Amino acid sequence: MTTLYQNFQTFLRGDTGQFSWQEFFREQVFRSWWFVLWLAILSFILFRVVAGQLAVSPFMTAAIVLIWVASVMATAVGNVLHRHTPYTHWLSNNLYNSVSSALISLLLVILIVAGVRGFIGWAFIRASFTPDSVLAAQNLSQWENPGANWGAVVNNFRNLMVFRFPRSEDWRLWFLILWNVVLLVPTTYVYSREVYRRSRIRRVLTGLWLITPIIAFIMLVGFGTDGPIPRINPDIAWGGLLLTLIAAVFGILASFPLGLMLALGRRSKIMGVPVWLTWLIIAPLTVYLLVTQTVPGLRSAMGLGQQVLSFWPLLLPVAAFLFLRYFQGNVVALMSTIYIECVRGVPLITILFMSIIMFPIFLPPGMQVLGTWRVLAAVTFFAAAYLAENVRGGLQSIPKGQFEAADALGLSTPRKYGLIVLPQALRAVIPAIVGQFIGLFKDTTLVETVGLIEFLGVANLISAQPNWLGVRREPYVFIAIVYFMGNFIMAAYSRRLERRLGVGER
Amino acid sequence: MTELTPQAPKRSESVPFWRDIRMLGILAQIAFLIAVILGFLWLARNVTQNMSTLGGSQFLCRDGTSNFRCAFDFLQLESQFAISETLIRYDPSDSYARALLVGALNTVKVAALGIILATILGTLTGIARLSSNWLIRSVARWYVDIIRNTPLLLQLFFLFFAVILAFPAIREAIQLFGLPIYLSQRGIDLPWLVRMPSFSAWLMYIVAGIALAAVVWWWIGRREQEWERDVNRPVWVLGTFLAVALLGWFLVSVTAADNQALLTPEGSGITELADIRLAVGDELGLENLGEIDEALADGSLSQEQLDAATVTVCVVKGDHAETNLAAEFRRANVPFAMKRGNNMTKTVAAYTAGDCDLMAASTAALSAELPAINESLPSAMVPVPEVPLRLSIPRIEGLNFVGGIKLSPNFAAILIGLTIYTGAFIAEIVRAGIQSVAKGQTEAARALGLSESQRLRLVVLPQALRVIIPPLTSQYLNLTKNSSLAIAVGYPDLWSVAFTTLNQSGRVIQVFLLVMGTYLVFSLVISFFLNWYNRRVALVER
Repeated sequence: MTTLYQNFQTFLRGDTGQFSWQEFFREQVFRSWWFVLWLAILSFILFRVVAGQLAVSPFMTAAIVLIWVASVMATAVGNVLHRHTPYTHWLSNNLYNSVSSALISLLLVILIVAGVRGFIGWAFIRASFTPDSVLAAQNLSQWENPGANWGAVVNNFRNLMVFRFPRSEDWRLWFLILWNVVLLVPTTYVYSREVYRRSRIRRVLTGLWLITPIIAFIMLVGFGTDGPIPRINPDIAWGGLLLTLIAAVFGILASFPLGLMLALGRRSKIMGVPVWLTWLIIAPLTVYLLVTQTVPGLRSAMGLGQQVLSFWPLLLPVAAFLFLRYFQGNVVALMSTIYIECVRGVPLITILFMSIIMFPIFLPPGMQVLGTWRVLAAVTFFAAAYLAENVRGGLQSIPKGQFEAADALGLSTPRKYGLIVLPQALRAVIPAIVGQFIGLFKDTTLVETVGLIEFLGVANLISAQPNWLGVRREPYVFIAIVYFMGNFIMAAYSRRLERRLGVGER
Repeated sequence: MTELTPQAPKRSESVPFWRDIRMLGILAQIAFLIAVILGFLWLARNVTQNMSTLGGSQFLCRDGTSNFRCAFDFLQLESQFAISETLIRYDPSDSYARALLVGALNTVKVAALGIILATILGTLTGIARLSSNWLIRSVARWYVDIIRNTPLLLQLFFLFFAVILAFPAIREAIQLFGLPIYLSQRGIDLPWLVRMPSFSAWLMYIVAGIALAAVVWWWIGRREQEWERDVNRPVWVLGTFLAVALLGWFLVSVTAADNQALLTPEGSGITELADIRLAVGDELGLENLGEIDEALADGSLSQEQLDAATVTVCVVKGDHAETNLAAEFRRANVPFAMKRGNNMTKTVAAYTAGDCDLMAASTAALSAELPAINESLPSAMVPVPEVPLRLSIPRIEGLNFVGGIKLSPNFAAILIGLTIYTGAFIAEIVRAGIQSVAKGQTEAARALGLSESQRLRLVVLPQALRVIIPPLTSQYLNLTKNSSLAIAVGYPDLWSVAFTTLNQSGRVIQVFLLVMGTYLVFSLVISFFLNWYNRRVALVER
């Protein structure tokens, strides 16, 4: 390593060693016709951008260009002399690898600086933070290009968090948050240490976590009208970030058993309905239906479409044949596969609308289910199908030898799955499951389209308030930051979890 | 002899049936089947009970009776709602079936364009994430992280309300990078190529060019080894195709030189297009018409002078002559304005009444009308050259953009939103795929002297594709399903139209069955194609 001063001295002395301009140009500039064209386009774009930025903010742009020129020269000298200082070494490897790379670096730096300045100007310098809408309008009107009106977010903070949760019952939310935080701190300590594996404290914590859903239900819904925890109507009281979290957590927790059963069901190898039995049932049934449904149907059919439709009993033998061939007569596998493929093939928004609109049709007349529960059920059914596929991937990754060894040891099927198969399978799919939770957390925004006001829904409502009419960007940016932070933290934790559990290492 | 092997314990041969695995399996099947059938029967009973309270309107037949067979008869009824963007002709008196078809075609349009654009964006970003330049790597990483961690619906709302609807009004539309791409709150207007009547003739040359290029490809492939020289096959093939296409272009332009024409009043002294340019130049006092803008800014030319010198042309609405003449005038920098008539008769009436200086249409149409026109306003025909494709550039006329192609704010929002969102996921998939190729492959390729692009094309990409295709399939399916969010930004895709149909006709179950069936069919088609491609690039194991 040398210093810049030494390098320049050597360069000016003329001790450049074997450097050939011809080779430099041939390698860096005239590599091929396409490359020359690419360099020409790049230079043109760079020139236009620099000229444009010089007009807008001359000092910053001139400073950037000067710094760029100086660093390029220093790096070039270092490359020629084959001796670098630590900084020019990094620059030569990362920013100024080649002529085109150096040009791109300058272009990107100018664009990034312009973008960041614009954002900071909008979000902080020209912005108003006061929750008073009149004062905010005054503050913003003094700018020619007004910045962000964060007052909309500040004023509506409670709305964004819990929307219409009754204020008198706020203590229930605080209790729930406190419960979770108080449990979380020792959990991160106890669960990650081998020495506590069989200790009592770990069992106590596990038990407390297992009753957390019940506590959450009691706190969020309540029971009775007079007691200490009166019932609140989820349709009205749940909203904002609270509803997003409830939907996501409920979706993942409730979809776990269903998804596990679907995955195991799809892979089930129990002996299916024998061929003779299937045809024994299907053939007479088909004939019976043909006689009783098709013939009168043909007679009263109006048009070719209805005539073709009246031959529907013929589908039964076709279905039976496919059933025998692809599922070996296994009804459980058939049902699981049909459910998974159908639910995965349609958009979530259609399932949500279907559950809202068609739930009352599928329930006995007179039985009413709140809209919130219908939506939560739809989210659960949707998540279960995706979870089933992830778990199935995990089950497929377990070598057959494990199953055979468990059978050789004489373990019954529940023991085999509970002690050998599922621990390995679930460990292998933890990254996929965390990814699914992140996806579900984002997909809860779709419930906004069916009328439940969650986080994004509140943001949309803010711009309709008379005080903050038309203020759209600020709530969206706030929500984006919250979602980003939440998902980023979850993804980072999942990576840590993967490393600790040794996923991918045998 | 002592017994070395212990005696086998005596036990009965058969296992009792309640412990026999096969019997248990069959019993479990039967129990499961009974449970499922009971469940279905319970649901069916609820449905029929609720149907009877809903009334017979769900399965109304054309003759007024109610029957399951008429479940889908409602599709022939009039829809009575309008759809803002359609690929095929549609108006509110068309049937529900046609409305749903329009919605499905819109979904296919968004999904197809979205898949293509997202793949391009995702591949470029994935490669950028592995670039040797730290800045490019960081920018790509931030883009992917931010987009993947925020919900799609939020991005769509942000794009639609906070970006596109916040664009300025048409008069102050933003011009992107100085190119004629205009961003306004009415949407995005792009230049577009328009087919002229002579395009079909040129198409034959294109097809011949492709055939000849294929022959050249095959022939060079055959002879490459004999020649022992480096022949750049793609360049030769591309060159052949371009040569034939250009030859066809010139030939067709020459034969079509008389397809379009202008009518000018006889006293104007204009016998060819160049005369118009000279005439306008004389009137404005400018040698070079390209300097009109500077002259306006200087003040040497006033807006009234410009308006007076603007050439007005009568055209029939939707006629090719408009695009053709607009392109010619644009090249010559002649200021012009178009007056559109609903049909030929009205246009001719406007011309003879003196509303415009010129009239443009196809030569055949003009020749037919010329005798009648000559009686009131003696005119001469000036031929206008025609080429197979004309570039139509949007320009402001009154309160609208004319020319070019217009992306409505809704369509632009859903397309750009889906592209950016799915592109981020595809970038991660491509990055993982490229990183899955062993480093030894790269080193061996470099040791063999392959150039960087050869290394990528011949060594890395084929191996990376095997890892990329399966997750890419699921991303394409996600994009198709996410296109249903177009309802949130007002674009009439399949789900949006189906929801309106559902509300208007009240046939809940049938519409849901149709919509979910259609989405399932889309998913199956995409999976089928990609599985076929996957099998082609998959590892052939021993």
